[in-house]
Amino acid sequence: MARFYFDSGDRNKIFEDEIGVECAGLEEVRQAGFEGLIDLTRESLKSVDGQRLFVEVRDENGDKILRLSLSLQVKLMKQI
Amino acid sequence: MSLISSSDVLVRKLQTISDIREADIGVLRAIPVQMKDFGANHDLVREGDHPAYSFVVLEGLVGSTKHTGDGKRQITSFFVAGDIPDLHGLHLSVMDCNFSTLTPARIGFMRHDTLRTVCDQHPRIATAFWRSTLIDAAIYREWVTNVGRREAYTRMAHILCELIFRLRSVGHIQDHVADLPITQAALGDALGLSTVHVNRMLQELRRKGLIATSGSKVHALDWPGLIHAGDFDTTYLHQRNRTDQ
Repeated sequence: MARFYFDSGDRNKIFEDEIGVECAGLEEVRQAGFEGLIDLTRESLKSVDGQRLFVEVRDENGDKILRLSLSLQVKLMKQI
Repeated sequence: MSLISSSDVLVRKLQTISDIREADIGVLRAIPVQMKDFGANHDLVREGDHPAYSFVVLEGLVGSTKHTGDGKRQITSFFVAGDIPDLHGLHLSVMDCNFSTLTPARIGFMRHDTLRTVCDQHPRIATAFWRSTLIDAAIYREWVTNVGRREAYTRMAHILCELIFRLRSVGHIQDHVADLPITQAALGDALGLSTVHVNRMLQELRRKGLIATSGSKVHALDWPGLIHAGDFDTTYLHQRNRTDQ
C-alpha cells in the first residue's frame, strides 16, 4: 500500500490534499479519484457553461500520475 | 483505559437520559456482564443472527452497518461508551443489521433472559431501556437527514459535533478533544461520501479553524463555530439535563 494525494479543483481554485489515501495499485487510485470527482461534481458543479472540475493524483514523491476531469457545456437549442 | 466498572458506564448513560433512582442503580449493578475485548472491524452481531444477549459498549466505537446487494457498506449510526446498540434485540428476535467495532473496543454482554426479568420487576428500568431505543431511533432519523440532505461539509461537521457531544455527556471526554481512531473509509461509509471527499471536508474544517487534528485526535477548536457549520441541534439526543456543552 502506498499513499496518494488527490488534489482537486476548477479553473480558479486548486485544493491541495495534505492527508492522502492509501491505495493498492493504479486501479484503486483510479477508482478513488473517480469517486472523488463524482462527489466534487455533486457539490461544486454550477450551471456555468464551460465549467471544468478535476481531480489530480500525486504519489509520495510528488509525481503526478493521473488526472480525471470533466467539463460542462450548456447550449441553448431554441428560444422559448 | 479508564478503571470505572462496566455497570458504572451503563448507569451513567441511563442517568443522562432517564430518571432512574438509587434502587434501580443497585439492580443495574447486579446484572451479570460478560466482558470481552475486540480489535477494530469485528462483527459483534450479524444480520440474520438470533442473539441471546444484548451488549453495552464499554470502550471504543461501534457502528451499526448495512450492506447493499452489490456490497457497499453504509454505517447507519455510531455507538459510544454506555450505549446498548442492540437493545431492540430483546423484542425483535432476528437482527436486521450488523454491529461492528470501528475501533478497538471493550464490550459487555448481558443475557436477554436476565434483562427481561429486570424489566418485568423494575418498571423504571424498563422505561429507561425503552427511552434508550427511542433515542437510538431519533439518532437514525437525524442521520437519514444528514446523509440525504446536508452538504458534505455540513454533514462532516454534524457527525463530529454529535460524537464529541455524546462522548462528553457520558463523561468520556472532559473537553472538546475526541480520540477517534476510525479510518477515512469508515467515515466515508457513515457519511455516504468517497474517501477523497472525506479528506477534502476534514481539511476544509481545519482550514477554517474549526478543528485541529493530530493522529486520530480531533480537537474542536471553535465549538460554537463547529455547531453552526454542522447545523447541529442537540434536541434529537434527548438528554435530561442539557447543560451548555
